[in-house]
Amino acid sequence: MTKEHIVSAFDRDLEGIQATVMKMGGLVEEALRGAIKALETGDTELAQKVRKSDRSVDELDLKVKHDAARILALRSPTASDLRLVLSVIEISAHLERCGDYAKNIAKRSIVLAENAQIEGTVPALRRMATFVLSMLSDALDAYIRKDASLAEAVIERDLEADDMYNTLFRSLLTHMMEDPRSIAAGMHLHFIAKNIERVGDHATGIAEQTIYVVTGALPEDDRPKKDGTSITFKPSDE
Amino acid sequence: MVDMAAMGTTMKDMHQTDRNPTMTEPKISAKNVNVFYGETHAIKDVTVDIADKTVTAFIGPSGCGKSTFLRCLNRMNDTIDIARVQGTILLDGQDIYDPRIDPVQLRAQVGMVFQKPNPFPKSIYDNVAYGPRIHGMAANKAELDDIVESSLRRAALWNEVKDRLDAPGTGLSGGQQQRLCIARAIATSPEVLLMDEPCSALDPIATAQVEELIDELRANYSVVIVTHSMQQAARVSQKTAFFHLGQLVEFGDTGEIFTNPRDPRTESYITGRIG
Repeated sequence: MTKEHIVSAFDRDLEGIQATVMKMGGLVEEALRGAIKALETGDTELAQKVRKSDRSVDELDLKVKHDAARILALRSPTASDLRLVLSVIEISAHLERCGDYAKNIAKRSIVLAENAQIEGTVPALRRMATFVLSMLSDALDAYIRKDASLAEAVIERDLEADDMYNTLFRSLLTHMMEDPRSIAAGMHLHFIAKNIERVGDHATGIAEQTIYVVTGALPEDDRPKKDGTSITFKPSDE
Repeated sequence: MVDMAAMGTTMKDMHQTDRNPTMTEPKISAKNVNVFYGETHAIKDVTVDIADKTVTAFIGPSGCGKSTFLRCLNRMNDTIDIARVQGTILLDGQDIYDPRIDPVQLRAQVGMVFQKPNPFPKSIYDNVAYGPRIHGMAANKAELDDIVESSLRRAALWNEVKDRLDAPGTGLSGGQQQRLCIARAIATSPEVLLMDEPCSALDPIATAQVEELIDELRANYSVVIVTHSMQQAARVSQKTAFFHLGQLVEFGDTGEIFTNPRDPRTESYITGRIG
């Protein structure tokens, strides 16, 4: 639906709310990149900056919800307009969570800066983060271009992010079992891995909203899930 | 995440299931209906089934033919000399354009409420008693009193007028007058109620009262409403038909039409885009 509304202020409202969500997306991507960089370099100053920046994301989330409520109340959107407003609320919630994960990674990077590292883990986290960030960036692109096929592709890629997480989980588990002194660092690194994996899930959620806006229906809930960690390790296996 | 698809289904079906109407046979079945006003082809090959105990809304821009089509359903177009109606319209399987059908009798079965409240210049009582009298529906005064009271009650007007039934109907407020017209329409025990913009001359409070009434009437009647207010169509109807340039573009569950219409012309119209 590219035609303009008879009431042009309606178009401006809808464009405005999407612009706010995109701004949020930009801040979240920047925060995630910063958090991973702080982890790699042990730059605690950068980590503090990332932690503080989450407040702006939360403020934008509130703004999106406020603006969406206003559009619903004043303009009574229907059909694709209604789906757009509903999707913006959902996407804002996804991004807000991603912002929280970036903040949490930054917080853990400060602790890890003072601990001995587990070799090879940070580069693996970096690769996973780069992969998941590309999912998030494509999910946001697909949304703004209303490109359902790009959104489908993002959803498919979540499998690979899950694989990366499973591999990291097993590797961290092995390290911690071999050397109990690595448990503190291992736990923090594992939570970071889990946070990154969750960002992939939220990118998938954003992609699903694009499909909802374009087609009017959410994809069936048989999307690929590949978190195998619950069966990777059973205490009875010991 | 909220399952929007499942939510859509419940929203769409809520009104249907809580009433559980017998949906097997349509109340009105129109097939290939064409209407001409002289040379003008006003309705183009419209085929639609209207369910019993359901509110069906006709929406569309001015001049799209929705009122014309509504008026076919009780042969109101017969009163216009240059109007020609082709195709078949069945009411409970009976062709209403069959020469043996008496249009006056038909209009008692298929009542109509108009845009502007048009009470007769008579008392409130006589406005409602008029139809039952000419159709000989009451054997005596007591029976007629009963019909008047129950019609006014069903039109949610009884409590406001019971102490002044002899007062002129034209002395009521606009909203009350429209409910009086609805009482008059249902006094002849119709099976279908046609409403042509019944709230366009009413304020929001009176509109809400009439909408509430429409929702109650659905328990006993098949209601067809023409409205320019898409929000009203969304609020009161379970089925929506979108007309454009004399054609029936899309017909479906109201929840579906307003969240995910199939035709781009419907989408353009209901979202307020030029189209």
